Amino acid sequence: MAESSDPRYGPQWRDALVSELRALSPWLDVPSAAEQATAVRQRLETQRLETQRRQEVRPPLIARWRGRILYPRWRAALIVVLTIVALAVAIPQSRAVIAHVLRLHGVELRQAPGPSPAPHPSLPGEQRMPLEQARKRVAFPVLVPAKLGLPDAVTVSDGGRVATLIYDRTPYGQVRLDEFDGHLDPVYFEKFVHLGNVTEVRLNGTKGLWVTGPQEIVYVRSDGMVVQASARLTTGSTLIWGAPRVVLRLEGGFSKAAALAIAASAR
Amino acid sequence: MLVARYTLRAHRAAWLLGAGEDADDVVQEAFVKAFRSLPKFRAGEPFAPWLLSIVANETKNLLRSRHRRTALALRLSALEPDATAPDTPFDEAAASERRARLLAAVNALPERERQALVCRYFLDLSEAETAQVLRWPLGSVKSRTSRALGRLRGLIVTEDQGRVFHG
Repeated sequence: MAESSDPRYGPQWRDALVSELRALSPWLDVPSAAEQATAVRQRLETQRLETQRRQEVRPPLIARWRGRILYPRWRAALIVVLTIVALAVAIPQSRAVIAHVLRLHGVELRQAPGPSPAPHPSLPGEQRMPLEQARKRVAFPVLVPAKLGLPDAVTVSDGGRVATLIYDRTPYGQVRLDEFDGHLDPVYFEKFVHLGNVTEVRLNGTKGLWVTGPQEIVYVRSDGMVVQASARLTTGSTLIWGAPRVVLRLEGGFSKAAALAIAASAR
Repeated sequence: MLVARYTLRAHRAAWLLGAGEDADDVVQEAFVKAFRSLPKFRAGEPFAPWLLSIVANETKNLLRSRHRRTALALRLSALEPDATAPDTPFDEAAASERRARLLAAVNALPERERQALVCRYFLDLSEAETAQVLRWPLGSVKSRTSRALGRLRGLIVTEDQGRVFHG
């Protein structure tokens, strides 16, 4: 109905229409995407072998310039350069081991300037609720570290994709523990770090990451879209590790040893 | 890892730009082309808009090869997205009708104006990123977005007036 109070008819109609369009976005029907990693890898591999075969038959001009002795080394260098470029796109100056760990844990680290923090950062659809209710709203087990006791607040965000425990007063300042099922989607959070601040740790026999902070962090929805309204600076360092059926991200002003002790006490 | 990270986003772009059932093929083709031309990629440049520009171009080629003049109409999902605040049934019915009318108006827009809106508001790209993805000058992104919003408003207002008179 054409009501005069409708913001679409006021002087701010343009802004009203834009926010209505943005709100429409999650309602659009988009079927689920096929997994592509295997097929793409196979096609690139086939292509590489074909190129190689062609080069063996007729060496490129540059190989003739450099002479046959240099040629194999030159090609090796090209492949190394291509690999480095490929890795640099994923995570600048990354190491393969980190790339592997990160995908496992639903957190992508990037060595790049992060987004500027949102004025009141929050996760999408963030709702505060008692711990017991939160346990019912998510499909993974919510672990509570015995060393910290019961949290001061619990939130569930993005329709049960993430649960967050918040401790306001601890010996380490405010502590935040995000929990999610990192096996479902490749990425939940992007963090912007200096990779020199990242070390690999072992926890209950599995790999984890210790990141000395603060760093910028931003939430990534299941469709891969970055949620700018979630961008914020972490309050301290972060420990990321996996437990059966859940991934945990512990953030606060603690030392690595203290963080590992808190993590080990999560039940 | 790069593929896993960007598949969903690339697929959403291909689908919303009109690739339809071929969206998965478009995405695979785009990844292969992206990797093949990685040396042309400038280090430090954001990867997503660069990949999406290949996706958009592949979609355009697909539509041209199929002699489809315009992309398929966008549809609303039958499922509710997560994390919406619980509304009363009456509000929900009204909101749902409003969404359907807005989307019908978007579908009625000329192709390029619709593409501008898809990139800006459904793929959440900035004006500069939209220019890169659709390979348009920045000025065209601004003018087509602005014209699209004006036309949308016109469509909605006309429809509302129709409803007042006849409803």
